[in-house]
Amino acid sequence: MFETFGNIRWEYLFDYELAIDSLPFLLQGLRITMVIALFSMFFALMLGVVIGVARMSKFAIFHLPARLYISFMRGTPLLVFVFILYYGLPVIGLEFNNAVVAAIVGVSLNFGGYLAEVVRSAILSVPRGQWEAAATLQMDYFQTLRKIVIPQATRIALPPTFNIFMDVVKGTSLASVITVQELLYSARLVAGRTYDSMTMYISAALIYWMVCIVIGYFQDRLEIRYNRYLSK
Amino acid sequence: MITVKNLKKTFDDTPVLESINLEVKKGEVVCLVGASGSGKTTLLRCLNLLETPDEGSIRIGDKEVSFGEDKLSKKDIKDIRRYSGMVFQGFHLFPHMTLLENITQAPLTAKQQDKETIMKEASVLLERVGLSEHQDKFPDALSGGQQQRAAIARALMMHPEVMLFDEPTSALDPQLVREVLKVIESLAKEGQTMVIVTHEMNFARRIADKAFFMDEGYILESGPAEQVLTDPKEDRTREFLALLEDE
Ligand SMILES: Nc1ncnc2c1ncn2[C@@H]1O[C@H](COP(=O)(O)OP(=O)(O)OP(=O)(O)O)[C@@H](O)[C@H]1O
Ligand SMILES: [Mg+2]
Repeated sequence: MFETFGNIRWEYLFDYELAIDSLPFLLQGLRITMVIALFSMFFALMLGVVIGVARMSKFAIFHLPARLYISFMRGTPLLVFVFILYYGLPVIGLEFNNAVVAAIVGVSLNFGGYLAEVVRSAILSVPRGQWEAAATLQMDYFQTLRKIVIPQATRIALPPTFNIFMDVVKGTSLASVITVQELLYSARLVAGRTYDSMTMYISAALIYWMVCIVIGYFQDRLEIRYNRYLSK
Repeated sequence: MITVKNLKKTFDDTPVLESINLEVKKGEVVCLVGASGSGKTTLLRCLNLLETPDEGSIRIGDKEVSFGEDKLSKKDIKDIRRYSGMVFQGFHLFPHMTLLENITQAPLTAKQQDKETIMKEASVLLERVGLSEHQDKFPDALSGGQQQRAAIARALMMHPEVMLFDEPTSALDPQLVREVLKVIESLAKEGQTMVIVTHEMNFARRIADKAFFMDEGYILESGPAEQVLTDPKEDRTREFLALLEDE
């Protein structure tokens, strides 16, 4: 068994010279990936806060649309949604002249739905006693939200938010199907030229992984900061 | 200071408070006692409208509200709450703030005094409840007794006319009860008006002017604390006190 293992031609799987040579080209692609990811995450967070708060409203005109939105975004594949945006909207006269913009819109709208749920559950996780204590100290709804609830909810929301951030980074790879020349698309170009798909896809995978490691590092730092008021 | 008339409260069709009438005068210390589930917490929470009564009226300070017909306005609720401060069984300090931040947050938000005055008062109060050297610690790093003393200071920072205490020592280890009761007792000596729900009978006899015994949503017996808590007229009160003695 070890013999067959020893006979594997590793260079068929991963040609590190090709990987190194193509790295600058892939990093060009990574730049586009990160532009899409950062803009998308920013807009998705905004959307998430607004829709998450609307979802908790006791008024139907706020929570019903919010529920519908969250349900739709959670219930449709991002890929399908991006197709609809890019190929479908021009039919009704809305055209994205820029595929990058279409990708950002698609990814933000989609992940905004997930973040709305994170925001909602984080706010609900703050004990009722906190609201009540603030009320007896004559703080109003928004003062309580801002000074008491959001700082505590942020701590709860950090891990799931960073999960979503990583999903956003990886989700941007779907932009390759609408011709955005991001990381995956770049890898595929080289793969087509050199007939060495495996090396190129492994390279792309490793680069996505590195990005997520960096994101994870920031997550750890923030978690330490937000957990500092807990002993142990 | 407080006048409650014909107060009634139900939770999902279950009556919890029935025709409650009571009066608390300025400077009086009033204890609410009674078995678990008799409605003490609910009554206390009605006094600052954390619960909305179904019927009756509450006057506190110069503000009077009646319940039943109209929905309470935000302003009514705000006006009523101005008069009272509350200390909870579970402290409910803000965990993400240091003790000093905990007790200054509300007055700084209210902006009725300048910052310097607030900070000065905070340090006087922390000294008074014996927490000066802990002012920069987070609640989680402190004992229950220390947290509850901080919670008392936090409520006092808003200068409430009436302090409401809901079993302030029930969540504490026995050896921490005394330090909290001492703080409350010193407030009583200063003439702070207080309504206290407690099972600490000796403490209640010592500091309370009046006592109310609650039973299944009614105030069954009321009168001078000394009498109600030592020599009650009602059998139910007597049974309740005997049960506590056994413990
Ligand atoms: N939010 C609520 N919803 C439904 N029922 C409630 C609610 N709060 C209290 N009750 C009920 O009202 C009754 C009175 O409760 P309350 O907490 O006022 O009693 P208590 O005298 O403070 O008891 P304890 O000594 O255990 O604190 C109980 O039967 C309780 O189950
Ligand atoms: Mg109670």
